Amino acid sequence: MRIKGIIFLTVITILGFLISWISIDPIIESEIEYQASVANGALVEIEGLDIDLIDLKIRWDKLQVANPENTMTNTFETGEMELDFLFWPTWWERVIIEDIIFKEFKMDTQRETDGYFKIPEEEKNAEPSFVAQLVGDVTSEISRNANMEFTNIKTNINVDSLMAKLDLQAPEKIDSLRNGLRQNYQKWDSTLSNTDINKEIAKVESTIKAIDIKNIKDPKKAIEAIKNVQQLAKQVDSLKTKATNLKKDFQDDFGDSKFSVGRIDNWIKGDFQRAMSMAKLPTIDPGNIAQSLFGENLLADYSGYLEYVAIARKYGSRLVGDDKEKIERYEGKDYNFTDKYDWPKLWIQNIDLSGETKTAIQLAGQVTNISSNQKKTKEPIKFNIGGKDNANRSMTLTGEFNYLGEEAKENINFTYDGFGLKGSKISPSSLLPYPLKTGTGEVSASVSIVDKRFDSEIGYKAKGIAFDFGENPSKDRIQQLIRDAVSSTDQINVTALVDNLDGPLKVKVRSNIDDLFVNALKSTVSKEVDRARQKIESRVRSEIGDRKEQLLAFKQEKEAEIRKEYEKLESRVNEEIKKVEEKKKELEKKKKELEDSLKDKIKDRIGIDWK
Amino acid sequence: MFIILKYIAKLLKALSSEASPNQLAGGFILGMIIGMTPVASIHNLIILMLVIILKVNIGMVILAFLVFSGIAYLADPLFHSFGIWILELERMQSTWTSMYDNELWAITKFYNTVVIGSFVSAVLLCIPMFPLTKIGVIQYRKNIHEKVMKTKFAKALKGTKLYSVYQTVVRVRG
Repeated sequence: MRIKGIIFLTVITILGFLISWISIDPIIESEIEYQASVANGALVEIEGLDIDLIDLKIRWDKLQVANPENTMTNTFETGEMELDFLFWPTWWERVIIEDIIFKEFKMDTQRETDGYFKIPEEEKNAEPSFVAQLVGDVTSEISRNANMEFTNIKTNINVDSLMAKLDLQAPEKIDSLRNGLRQNYQKWDSTLSNTDINKEIAKVESTIKAIDIKNIKDPKKAIEAIKNVQQLAKQVDSLKTKATNLKKDFQDDFGDSKFSVGRIDNWIKGDFQRAMSMAKLPTIDPGNIAQSLFGENLLADYSGYLEYVAIARKYGSRLVGDDKEKIERYEGKDYNFTDKYDWPKLWIQNIDLSGETKTAIQLAGQVTNISSNQKKTKEPIKFNIGGKDNANRSMTLTGEFNYLGEEAKENINFTYDGFGLKGSKISPSSLLPYPLKTGTGEVSASVSIVDKRFDSEIGYKAKGIAFDFGENPSKDRIQQLIRDAVSSTDQINVTALVDNLDGPLKVKVRSNIDDLFVNALKSTVSKEVDRARQKIESRVRSEIGDRKEQLLAFKQEKEAEIRKEYEKLESRVNEEIKKVEEKKKELEKKKKELEDSLKDKIKDRIGIDWK
Repeated sequence: MFIILKYIAKLLKALSSEASPNQLAGGFILGMIIGMTPVASIHNLIILMLVIILKVNIGMVILAFLVFSGIAYLADPLFHSFGIWILELERMQSTWTSMYDNELWAITKFYNTVVIGSFVSAVLLCIPMFPLTKIGVIQYRKNIHEKVMKTKFAKALKGTKLYSVYQTVVRVRG
């Protein structure tokens, strides 16, 4: 035994422990801060990190996660945190955290310093996420809602000035179509009258006439004449083919594929629609009303919630898929006799969260099974956070990110209930500019994402409400109707349905006062709108006049003429075919007669019967 | 460089007469195991501790490690195949499984084909190598040492400043 060796080993072990003890915390702290800042897109700061390798615990005093959209605020911050991790998985380069306790969790807090973080080029991920694209779509929907000109209802339309401004296109197009047809008919007139079919028929006719059967006395001449007639038959057949081709070309030129009444109707409809859009007549339906009153607010809230979903998904996607086994040459193969060490690279089994919202609701809850590979943990990420304050306002957030199956499934539900509405306006629209005297509100949202199919609902309830219409409310007719509708109820329920289940993003906003509005509107405004619409339609039709009917009559007349001419030509060809056939039969008969008489003569002279 | 020269000099000295053949053969087989098996393994840490604690010749450990590292690099595919055969032995399955389920055994990575293949090969090779090394040392001392000391390498080694510094240190230390 080497005593010096034992002492050397002991000293080395102690030194190694001391060195790692002193330097490990700042190294790990800066690495975590860097990686988390890259993932977040803004600064992530940890204060007072302490790693206890004996008790297998990590603690910190404070964590701040800066908001990438506004780097002077934090998306969230926590106070003291403590986590316990398992020892053995670290030998397999796996981090399994059993429990994390976050205290003093706060969202949307102010920062003392700027949280800007410049992401290195190699770390940038240029592709926008699916939810980020969705946020963009919803945002554009919000701006569409904000621009709805619902109040700009004009029922007293000056049709003359409208028609003066409107450049009707249908008459010109119909006239041009008529000119085109006329030229085409002229072309066909000349084609039919100048066709060489007529000349050739005349030639055939004279050739047939020239064959004088009575004067044929010799069977040889009869055979010669038959050959001529057969030649004529071929000629007539080719004339028939020519005539058929002519008919086909004509039908192609004027068939339904090149001309349809539907085209003219579309031109007229186009003019009418342009007139309607110039008149800015609204389409009144419940969706329009709810959307113009509440859509902007509701979708702005919704877009805000989606941004949080996008953040959650972003962190999720950074974790998932980082679990590939790398097998290099001659590193051998691991035999996994059991699934004991089949851990994901990271698995946080439980997070206990406590803190408060900006509005002082005391929150508490759990997030479980955050992992880099759910197929290994066999557990989806679940969260359930909620709380109440003294004024009975409550908030809950529950959900599940499930990546166990073929398709990723994410469900998030959020409710915020019991907040006071006194003094607030429930609609940003100028149609409902009145503040509330009393009332409480409830917002609930549910989002379900399966792969890239998105289905969600956001609801808003205003309960026990009474509006303060002021002493001199507006005399505007629409506003009056809305006032009447909202004063007849003490509750407003609005729901926005946003989904892309059938393709592009669809947004529907519905409320319980839609029907009240619609009934009131239909009895007054919509009648006037309908009248204005009819006025415009009849004026457009009168401007276009009977051009369509004239054109159709012209087309019919010209086509009948050409068809008649063609039929004449066709009957001449057929007649000629018949004549040629008859001539041929006569010649055959004559030939037989001549041959018979010749045979009789031979029999008489030499006694041989050739028959 | 100084350490390697130091141990080469020590090895030459030990081979001549200083160390017992057992110490030299022990160092040789321990170095052989480290060299043949993947270096970053728990069992090699234990062997390294044995090298430090036991009175084996460290020069011989280094020599064997260098020689067998090169051999192992070429023989890894064979160790892999041997490891597959060992790990798939029907009658050993329950042993492997219970060893795998025990974390202390599992960190040895004996469930890896190259680790188990090379380790078992090295241990098996120890059986002939220990007596063979002993015989080799005795034969060396009898027949070869004189010739080696006369080689240009040995003379050059003795002529280097480092070697004289080393000799001085040894003298001062006694």
